[in-house]
Amino acid sequence: MKVLAFDTSNKLSSIAIVENQLSLAEINTDDKLTHSINLLPNIQKLLDDTDLDLSDIDRVVVAQGPGSYTGLRIAVTVAKTLAYTLEKELVGISSLKLLAANAKEGHISVALMDARNDNVFAGVYQSKDGSLDNLIEDQHVSIYDLLDKLKSYREEEIDFVNVSDNLLEIIKEAMPKANILDYANSKPDAVKLAKLGEIEPPVADVNTFVPTYLRVTQAEYDWLQKDNHTENGNISYVEEI
Amino acid sequence: MQKDTIIMAFESSCDETSVAVIKNGKEIMSNIIATQIKSHQRFGGVVPEVASRHHVEQITYCIDLAMEEANVTYDDLDAVAVTYGPGLVGSLLIGIMAAKTIAFAHNLPLIPVNHLAGHIYSAQFVTDLQYPFMSLLVSGGHTEIVLVKAPGEFETLGDTRDDAVGEAYDKIGRVLGLQYPAGKTVDQMSAKGNDVYDFPRAMVKEDNLDFSFSGIKSAFINKVHNAEQKNEELNQNDLAASFQAAVLDILSNKLFRAVEKNPVKQIVVAGGVAANQGLRNRLAKDIKDKNLDIELVFPPLRLCGDNAAMIGAIAQIQYEKGDFSGLDLNSDPSLDF
Repeated sequence: MKVLAFDTSNKLSSIAIVENQLSLAEINTDDKLTHSINLLPNIQKLLDDTDLDLSDIDRVVVAQGPGSYTGLRIAVTVAKTLAYTLEKELVGISSLKLLAANAKEGHISVALMDARNDNVFAGVYQSKDGSLDNLIEDQHVSIYDLLDKLKSYREEEIDFVNVSDNLLEIIKEAMPKANILDYANSKPDAVKLAKLGEIEPPVADVNTFVPTYLRVTQAEYDWLQKDNHTENGNISYVEEI
Repeated sequence: MQKDTIIMAFESSCDETSVAVIKNGKEIMSNIIATQIKSHQRFGGVVPEVASRHHVEQITYCIDLAMEEANVTYDDLDAVAVTYGPGLVGSLLIGIMAAKTIAFAHNLPLIPVNHLAGHIYSAQFVTDLQYPFMSLLVSGGHTEIVLVKAPGEFETLGDTRDDAVGEAYDKIGRVLGLQYPAGKTVDQMSAKGNDVYDFPRAMVKEDNLDFSFSGIKSAFINKVHNAEQKNEELNQNDLAASFQAAVLDILSNKLFRAVEKNPVKQIVVAGGVAANQGLRNRLAKDIKDKNLDIELVFPPLRLCGDNAAMIGAIAQIQYEKGDFSGLDLNSDPSLDF
């Protein structure tokens, strides 16, 4: 199976074409503001380098979130449109699971994205026999609440992945014996993304595929708070005219 | 006989997700529009992050419906066109990424379209355009007088210095307790009222073709607040009529000054506010009173708001000129002519 995988959830991006678990080609970039410019030309370059055509690709795997809202939408829009228009299989993988794939086999992998004000997007995984089990589901949470939830694990076996400078001191103080992976070992890798996506079932309906933001917008949050408004499903808010 | 050109067009610059299939820039084979208006009514205006999220939800549905309704396959398409500005950056990006992906996947040329040019060319579906022609572009985001000198060649003669005209309608609508967007209701109310409050006609005496609508908006709000403090009852229809009369005077004044300096055979009025019945009546009356031999062109109501058909109309001209873009096309939120 030939898999095209890409992640533009955050500042770094990674794109790869993988066949039968082997990387055929990969491009990694470090330029947040240009995902919208570079994603498709880079996919084109990978196809050129591997002498493949888009029609040769069997499956598209995309990091679905959480992450930068705009970054997620860029990757998800390309992924779902590609899958839709060429009738390819589509798989979405948690962007935190992708980061968690950097941890040591057997360790408890705590993947983080700094969401400011001591909040994080976090997911806790454990790698076993090449697959990653989810131990604590992806969520938007205070770093302190997250550290509380981790108390049941042995500190020495915890790997924190993608730790920002702001979070570093807080984690070190709470869990001095835990491992903190450095920047070089905290990057998203689309080859890993492809492998994670290859063993998942494809989405049933490409049209309804959207990013996993893990947060409602501020406007919707405020609206839900006042006058006992209730959410009645986003779809009814949009209608064909 | 020349071969037909079929273009798939995308528009997602604000709160409508739209995909259209257009033949030769003049025939609408399909024009799917998914509007988010009910969603943004919760907040009293468009919230960009909410808009972006809806666009991702809708985009492939719209492509699918547009292809199905037009009864075409990708082999029938000659190009893909997309609005790349002006507009909300997050919203623009969904149409751009989807359009680029379709162009990439099916090896089609990609045409980058200016949203404002699209609005003006919505007139191409109702008449044969005769160059040069004048256009008045009025919407929630824009108020411009644009001279179209030749196919796809634009010169902005006047622009708003502050609020767009549609924005002013929404702001005074809020003061009147009307639901967003307020333009249509204010238009209907003004038909039942009279211009008794004499709001200021900003900049009509100045020797330029620019607009300002923040002064009239402030005068309106002050009038209402002062009355509230004195416990005076103001007639709502008269308030609407007074506001609309001032707006129409300003638009008419500048538009016909532009026409005086630049003789044309056609005036195209485009954008969401082109749906305003008061504006339609007023400009028709002006042309008659001034004894001008000018065809006044209003797009049908469905094409006044944001839609992809209009993007396909101007894209045809760019297609003929070979005005294409690479897969590195990015949004330009403040794009102008």
